[in-house]
Amino acid sequence: MPILQDLNAFARHSLRSATRGNRLYWLWMGLLGICIGVGIFSYLEQLDGGLIRTAMRDPVSWGFYIGNFTFLVGVAAAAVLLVIPAYVYHWKPIKEVVILGELLAISAIVMCALFVLVDVGRPDRVWHLMPGLGRLNVPSSLLGWDVLVLNAYLILNFVIVSYLLFSMFKGRKPRTAIFMPLVLLSIPAAVGIHTVTAFLYNGFAGRPFWNASILAPRFIASAFCSGPAVLLILMQLLRRFTRFEIQSSAIWKVAELMAYAMFLNLFLHGAEVFKEYYSDTEHLVHMQYMFQGIGEHRAIVPYMWLSVFCSITAFLLFLIPKTRRNPVTLNLGCVLIFSGVYIEKGMGLVIPGLTPDTLGEIYEYFPTWIEIGVAVGVFGIGAFIFTVLVKIATPIMLRASAGEASAEPGSGQPHRQRTTGQD
Amino acid sequence: MRWIRDALARLRPGVLLCGLALGAALLLAAPALLSEETGAPAKAAPPSGPKHPVNLRPVGKPARMATGEVDALGAPIVVACSTCHSLRTEESPATKPAELTKFHKEFPFDHGERSCLACHNPKDYDTLRLADGRALPFTHSLELCTQCHGTQARDYKHGAHGGMNGYWDLTRGPRTRNQCVHCHDPHVPAFPRMQPTFKPRDRFMDAHRDAPKGGAR
Amino acid sequence: MKPELTRRTFLCTLAGCAAAAATGGCGDITHTSFFRDNFRDLEKEELQQILAELEREHSKTYGKQVTVGAAQAQPGVEFGYALDLSRCVGCRRCVYGCVEENNQSRDPQIHWIRVLEMEQEKGIDFHHADAYYDPETVPEAGKFYVPVACQQCRNAPCVKSCPVGATWQEDDGIVVIDYDWCIGCRCCMSACPYGARHFNWATPDVPAEEMNPDTHILGNRPRMKGVVEKCTFCVHRVREGKYPRCVEVCPVGARKFGNLLDPQSEVRQILEHKRVVTLKSELNTRPRFYYFFG
Repeated sequence: MPILQDLNAFARHSLRSATRGNRLYWLWMGLLGICIGVGIFSYLEQLDGGLIRTAMRDPVSWGFYIGNFTFLVGVAAAAVLLVIPAYVYHWKPIKEVVILGELLAISAIVMCALFVLVDVGRPDRVWHLMPGLGRLNVPSSLLGWDVLVLNAYLILNFVIVSYLLFSMFKGRKPRTAIFMPLVLLSIPAAVGIHTVTAFLYNGFAGRPFWNASILAPRFIASAFCSGPAVLLILMQLLRRFTRFEIQSSAIWKVAELMAYAMFLNLFLHGAEVFKEYYSDTEHLVHMQYMFQGIGEHRAIVPYMWLSVFCSITAFLLFLIPKTRRNPVTLNLGCVLIFSGVYIEKGMGLVIPGLTPDTLGEIYEYFPTWIEIGVAVGVFGIGAFIFTVLVKIATPIMLRASAGEASAEPGSGQPHRQRTTGQD
Repeated sequence: MRWIRDALARLRPGVLLCGLALGAALLLAAPALLSEETGAPAKAAPPSGPKHPVNLRPVGKPARMATGEVDALGAPIVVACSTCHSLRTEESPATKPAELTKFHKEFPFDHGERSCLACHNPKDYDTLRLADGRALPFTHSLELCTQCHGTQARDYKHGAHGGMNGYWDLTRGPRTRNQCVHCHDPHVPAFPRMQPTFKPRDRFMDAHRDAPKGGAR
Repeated sequence: MKPELTRRTFLCTLAGCAAAAATGGCGDITHTSFFRDNFRDLEKEELQQILAELEREHSKTYGKQVTVGAAQAQPGVEFGYALDLSRCVGCRRCVYGCVEENNQSRDPQIHWIRVLEMEQEKGIDFHHADAYYDPETVPEAGKFYVPVACQQCRNAPCVKSCPVGATWQEDDGIVVIDYDWCIGCRCCMSACPYGARHFNWATPDVPAEEMNPDTHILGNRPRMKGVVEKCTFCVHRVREGKYPRCVEVCPVGARKFGNLLDPQSEVRQILEHKRVVTLKSELNTRPRFYYFFG
C-alpha cells in the first residue's frame, strides 16, 4: 500500500515540522500554551459552578462567547473569499493563497465550535446535535442549520488543504480539475456559513435590533474587512521570514478590495443608524444603548465609538492609494479594521440586541474574568492550530513553488492579529 | 473615476461569483424560513360525561356584631343584630354611619349614596332586603348585589368576574366560586390596597444589579 | 438492526468521555438521563422505567414520596388563559404560588411569572415597565400591572429555534421542555418575545420541606443545572382537570383558565363577551394567553 506509506511519511514530516523551530517559535508556542492553560482553568471553574460564573443572565442570555463565535464565522468565511481575487487576477501563488486562507478558515471554525461548546449549559449533551444520533431540528432551527453548514465547511476546507499539501508533498502538481471545483464550491459555502449565522439572529422577530434584513449583507461586508486583514499581515510576515514570493501588487489589490468592503460596511451600518434614529420608534432603544447609553447604563458605549473610529480610520487609510501602499499605514489599517469589526461583531451585535430585553428591562452585561479567560483559551487553541498548520504547510509550499528541498521556515508566526483578537 | 470603472470591469467575474454564492446560500437556508406551524391541537369534542357541581363558596353568618365588650374570659361579646335591634325601632333611619348618634358611628362606609336600609332589613335586622322589600338571608347576599351591579353580575355569570378554585374540567371534579363578599366588603366595596410580596432578585449578580432600572428612555 | 441499537453502541463507546465530563462538573448526569432518547421517541416501557427511576431518585433527595407523572394531552382540550388587567393589583401572590407549585429554584432565584408595573397614561409599553416596584401597598396610583409568563404561542418562536427539538408544543397547546434533552444553548431565550424562558445558571436549590412532590416529567419535576425552564400552565395539575396554581392563589380573581374548545368554558365566554388583547400581536406568535379589561 504505497499510499499508506506516503501518508505515513507525510504525517512524520508534519510532526517533524511542527516540533522543530527556533527560539521565537517555542516562545510563541509557550505563550499559547499559557493561554490555553488559562482557558482550561477558567472553563473548569465555569463547569463547576455553572454559567452563573459568567455575567450572562436571563435578560442577556448570550454574551461574549456567542459574540466571538459570530466574529470568527466571519473570519472563516472571508479567508476563503480571498480566493476570488486570487482566481480572478491570476496571481501566481494562487495555491498558496488558497492554502493559507483555508488554514485560517479551519482554525477559525474550530474556534467557532469551541465557543459554542463553552457557551452551552450541557456540554455533555452536544451529541444531541448530531444528525441521526441526536435530533437535529432542521429545517426549522437556524442554529441547527449553522451546525450543518459549519461542519460541511470545515470538512470541505480540510479536504482541499489536505489534497493540495499532500500532492505538493509528493512532488506532484495538484490537479486543477480536482481542486478547483472544490475551491469554487467553498466560495458559496463561505458566504453560506456567514449568511446562515446572520439568519440565526435575523430570524428572531422579538429582537428588533437583529430582525433587520440588512443584517446578512452587513455580516458579509464586515467579514470582507476582517478576514483579509489577517491574511494581509500573514502574507507580509511569510514574505519577510521565508522565501515565499508574494508580489506587493497582490497585497495592494487585496487592500483595494477591502476598501470597497469597508465602504459597504460603513454604508450599511449608516443606513441602519439613519433608519432607527429618523423613524424614532421604540426599536431605537437598542441603538441608543449602543451609542449613547441609557441612563447610567453606558458600559459598552466607549467600545462602540472606538469601533466606529477604527473602522472609519481604516477605511480612509485603505481608500487613499498612498497609505494603502505604505506598509506601515497598511498594517495599521489592518489592525484597526480587525479591531473595529471585532468589537462591532463581537459585542456590538449581541449585547445591544439583547439590551433592553424583550420586557424592557436593562441588564447591563459585561464579561467576567472567567469568560475572558475561557475566550483567551479558545483563541489560544485556535492560534496554536493555525501556527502548527502554517508551520507544516510552509516548507511544503516553498519546496513545491521553488522546487527546492524543504527549508527551515523560520518562525514567521503571526502574532499581531492574535493579540488584537484577544483585547 | 477611471479607477472605479477599471476596478468594476475587472471585478465582474468576482461579482458574478458573489451573486451566485449568495443565491446558493439563500436557497440553502430557504426551507428554514418556512416556519413550522407547531402542534395543531386535536379538534376532538371537549371532555363530556357526568358533571360535577359548581359550588358557591359559603358565606358565613355575618349577621352578628361585636359589642365592644369582653366576657369574663376576655373573649369579645358578639351578638346577633336582632339582639339590640328587636328592642329599638328607628324613627328616622340614618343614611350613613356618620349620622348615627349611638352605635355604629365609626363604621367604615364608602359605597356611594346608599343608605343603610337600602340593604339592611328594618323589619328583621337578621336579614337583608331586596329592592322590592323581600327579606333575604345574609348567606344569599350575592343576589342583593346583583340588583345594582348588573355588569359585574353578567361577568360573574360568564366566569369573567370572581375567583375560583378546583377543577376547570367539571367531568373530573367540582369547582368552587367566590361570592361578592369574599373579596368586597359591602360597606367599602373597593378592593383594599395590599402589601406586595418581594420584588424579584433573579439577576443575582450584586446588589445594584438586583434592581435594574425599568424605563428605557 | 434497529437504529436505537447503533445509537446505544455508539454512545456506550462515549461512556468514557461521559465519565470524564461527570467529574468535570456535570455531576448530575445519571445513566438514564445521558443515554435516553428525546422524550417523544421513548417507548412506553422505557418511559415507565425512567419515571420510576426519577421517582426513586427525587424521593431519596427530598426525603419524601415524590411522584413523577407523564399524563398526556387529553383529546378535545386546548388550554387558554385570560387575565383581567383591570383587576390585577400587582401583589405578586401568583409569582410565589408558582415558585412553590413548580419547584423553581430559590437561590439563584427563578420566577416564571414576571409582574410588570406600567403607567396608566402610557398603556402597555414594555420599555417603561418596571418589574422591581416595591411600594408599601399596591396598586399604586396611576399604575397598572401586567403579569407576564409563557404565552403558550400557537406559532411559538422558541419551538422553531431549538436546534435539538428539546421543546415542542403538545396537542393541548402547552409548550413543554424535555429537561433531559435540552443542551442549554439558550436559542429559545433569544427567540422568546416575552422573556418567558429561564435558564438554570447554577444548580437549582429547592428546600426539601417546600418541595412539591406532585410532579410531571415535562413540568415541575426538579430541574438540573444548565437547562431552560418555563411555565407549563401547571401541566401536572391541568391534565388532572385542575386549575393552575396561579388561578387559585390570585386574591382578586383576575386569572381565568379553561378549555378553548369548550364553548361553555370561562375562557371562551371571555373571548365572546370581552374584548381581548394579546401581547406583541404584531409578531404573529398568536398566544393562548389573553389579556382583557373586565
